[in-house]
Amino acid sequence: MAGETVVETRALTKVYRDFWGRQKVRALKALDLEIKQGEVFGLLGPNGSGKTTTIKLLLGLLFPTEGQALVFGKDATDVSKNHRIGYLPEESYLYRFLNADETLDFYGRLFDIPHDELKRRIDNLVRLVGLERARKRQLKEYSKGMTRRIGLAQALINEPELILLDEPTSGLDPIGTREMKDLILRLKDEGKTIVMCSHLLADVQDVCDRIAILHQGELKELGRVDALLTVADVTQIRGRNLSPQCQDEIRQVIERNQGELVSVEHPTTTLEELFLTIVRDSEARPGRRAVVTDSQPAASQN
Amino acid sequence: MVLENAPLDFLTWLFGGAGEIGALPRFLVTVLVLAVLALLVGFLTALVRYGPLKAGDLTYRVVTNGIAELARTSPRRIWAIARLAIKESFRRRVIVALVVFFLILLFAGWFLKTDYRQPAKLLLSFILTATTYLVLMIALLLSAFSLPNDFKSKTIYTVVTKPVRAGDIVLGRILGFTIVGTVMLAIMSLFGYLFVVRTLYHTHEVDVSRLEEVVDADGNVVGKTGRTTLNDYHRHEVELDADGNDRALSTNEHYHTIENTGTPDEPKYVVSGPEGFLRARVPQYGKLRFLDRRGAPAPRGISVGNEWTYRSFIEGGSAAAAVWLLDGVNDSSLRTDPEGKKYLPLELIVRVFRSYKGNIEEGIQGSIRLRNPDNPNVKSNEDIFTAKDASINTFDIPVKLYNGQKEIDLLKDLVTKDGRLEVVVQCLDSSQYYGFAQPDLYLRLPDASPTWNYVKAQIGIWVQMVLVIAIAVTASTLLNGPVAMLFTVSFILLGFFREFFVNVATGKQVGGGPVESLVRLVTQKNMITKLDQSFGVQLMKWIDWVLRQAMLSLAQVLPDFRSLSTVDYVAYGFNIPTNKISQDVVVTAAYVLGLCIIGYFCLRTREVAK
Repeated sequence: MAGETVVETRALTKVYRDFWGRQKVRALKALDLEIKQGEVFGLLGPNGSGKTTTIKLLLGLLFPTEGQALVFGKDATDVSKNHRIGYLPEESYLYRFLNADETLDFYGRLFDIPHDELKRRIDNLVRLVGLERARKRQLKEYSKGMTRRIGLAQALINEPELILLDEPTSGLDPIGTREMKDLILRLKDEGKTIVMCSHLLADVQDVCDRIAILHQGELKELGRVDALLTVADVTQIRGRNLSPQCQDEIRQVIERNQGELVSVEHPTTTLEELFLTIVRDSEARPGRRAVVTDSQPAASQN
Repeated sequence: MVLENAPLDFLTWLFGGAGEIGALPRFLVTVLVLAVLALLVGFLTALVRYGPLKAGDLTYRVVTNGIAELARTSPRRIWAIARLAIKESFRRRVIVALVVFFLILLFAGWFLKTDYRQPAKLLLSFILTATTYLVLMIALLLSAFSLPNDFKSKTIYTVVTKPVRAGDIVLGRILGFTIVGTVMLAIMSLFGYLFVVRTLYHTHEVDVSRLEEVVDADGNVVGKTGRTTLNDYHRHEVELDADGNDRALSTNEHYHTIENTGTPDEPKYVVSGPEGFLRARVPQYGKLRFLDRRGAPAPRGISVGNEWTYRSFIEGGSAAAAVWLLDGVNDSSLRTDPEGKKYLPLELIVRVFRSYKGNIEEGIQGSIRLRNPDNPNVKSNEDIFTAKDASINTFDIPVKLYNGQKEIDLLKDLVTKDGRLEVVVQCLDSSQYYGFAQPDLYLRLPDASPTWNYVKAQIGIWVQMVLVIAIAVTASTLLNGPVAMLFTVSFILLGFFREFFVNVATGKQVGGGPVESLVRLVTQKNMITKLDQSFGVQLMKWIDWVLRQAMLSLAQVLPDFRSLSTVDYVAYGFNIPTNKISQDVVVTAAYVLGLCIIGYFCLRTREVAK
């Protein structure tokens, strides 16, 4: 069933009106989108571009002014589609007087999941999101990261085929962000479709297959991430243990072929990798860590 | 005890008959009219916004989707939402209300004295009213704020994106809050009952120094009379038989039994706790007609100036009389006293109007006699009694009566073959008046259980609570918390004053409709002054006519809150007819059903993320 259209919008328009019916904000202007099964789709854009509005229209939380939003072929306001979707809202709007178990139990009951199956899923999900130690504490005592995690758990309670994530990594620390991204990729491997909207560009780049960029309610760009981001005319070669003579030779080869040498330098790892490595080390070996001082600048090649 | 409208028999009430439209047909008609109206309004608003074709399509889809979804409400989901509502209530510290209740009980114990002539009435009325107000307030606060809170904190997003129907949400909440309220009510009613019983409990001792012997015609001692000690601000007269047992006579609505645990020569008297405080009388009413001061039939008695025309009065020292026609009197109506004699138990509630004060400690004298309705000459001798205002006088009419010197039999001579009997009451003190309404004289059938009566009163409170919850939850689907609360309170208040509301709407109330009464207020004209026939006044009357039609339509859906309260029955010691309770429950169920459907459509058409 790969390639089947899961989400489709046709000329979807949303205009917020005030009480007297006058137009206040044109949040979305004639959006046309198609999302296929099994892909991770990112909705990008600055604040106020209509990302969250699109997600809410797809969920039936808002009614379109014009056009149509279809999920699994049915109108977005059809309640029966909710069996197959999961939704993680921007701020994990959950009942703060329940604890983790009760929260998942409540939402699971709304799906008519049989009792034993529900218990099994709750155990799995709590372990998956790493909240075992806080199971019996009320949600009002949770930190932000923990709230996001329980929010994600309730989005997955019904093992949905389509998952909608509204700003999934915003507000999380680097570890939480890494875990969230790993989870998204895992869900993708299981064949689920994921639609996420975010303004954290690096995170979107890491996980999404296709992206759409919105600005002031209009679609400005749509396409596969790798296709969009590849700089076609520059070639990047990475080699290990290249002596200075080797580097000179390569430089000459390029000049001989009328190419342009853009740069020769040591590649950088990401700050995320460094951070995670240090944290992992620190958890394995608590105590002071030997810090490399800055007294000798590293010899730079040019 | 006031009984303006006697409850109808259940099936007659439901299906109609005897000149009254049945409740069920009225309900169906109301539902139909409301549905058509809603459809029309919805179609017109859609028409304005989208044009005719799309409007028609939209309306059609809303209706078909609505019916399909309503049919698919799942009990499991409703129960999940109900559980959530219950948890929310308890974690929001609804227990505090119980603490308030116990505080009230504590203070009531200090401040309510039992020296009042009718202590049981005071205590029961207080407890039941306090319970009613507390329970209704809890129900209101819980229900009106729950759903709006969900909208404000946006937790509704995570709920609505699950396969939950709007009907599940509304019904689940109503169910959850009903359960919480029922638990609260049960605890409060139990402790209230214990409180009443405990506060009323007291005992006396026989004042031995004042005991006098009663001697019969032969000189034998057949008993003793005397009085008890003064406890709880009252004392009783005492009648003892030869062995020293019998009772302390009735005062302040109760009596005690006395037992002699010693020997007849060395008696040791033990007085029991109070008995007879909690009663559930079962009255069998008759039809009342009046005779004026010359003895001719009159439509009503005299008015002594009360605005409330429930009762009318007969003049003392004249031929004025109140005549009741009782039906269905036969051998099974008679009761047997402890000595084996049969009697007809009649009770009479008398209101007294004095045109001069006289001796305020003594009551006003009156007479009662029985009569054959077909043959007025066959009547019993007058029985003279003294009545104080608002007292209940008990007459145990023996079977053997006297007409002058002739002995007559109650059942054979006075009661007709089809069981009819007339009771004639007159006032004897001239220039004083007795006031009566139809339910003031009744044949007392065997008492029902007072505990069960108390429970029935609790069911009456429960019914009011369910109604408040249903209205509040439905209002909260569209309105925010405080506004929903205000809406519910206004609905209830209007329901309380429904009769007045209907009178204004039908024009029976002097002073005109809403706009006219406002004009009269502002121009300081009272209710019966004629207004000039200017064009302004005509216009005002037309506007009033339109408003009054709207009020009449609204009155059709207003619940009659005042008739739902059964506190008076229990406080005055009358049995609540089971009929009435079943009618109240059915009416409330009808309201809950209608409100759920309205709530469903309101929630469905609301844009959750606006």
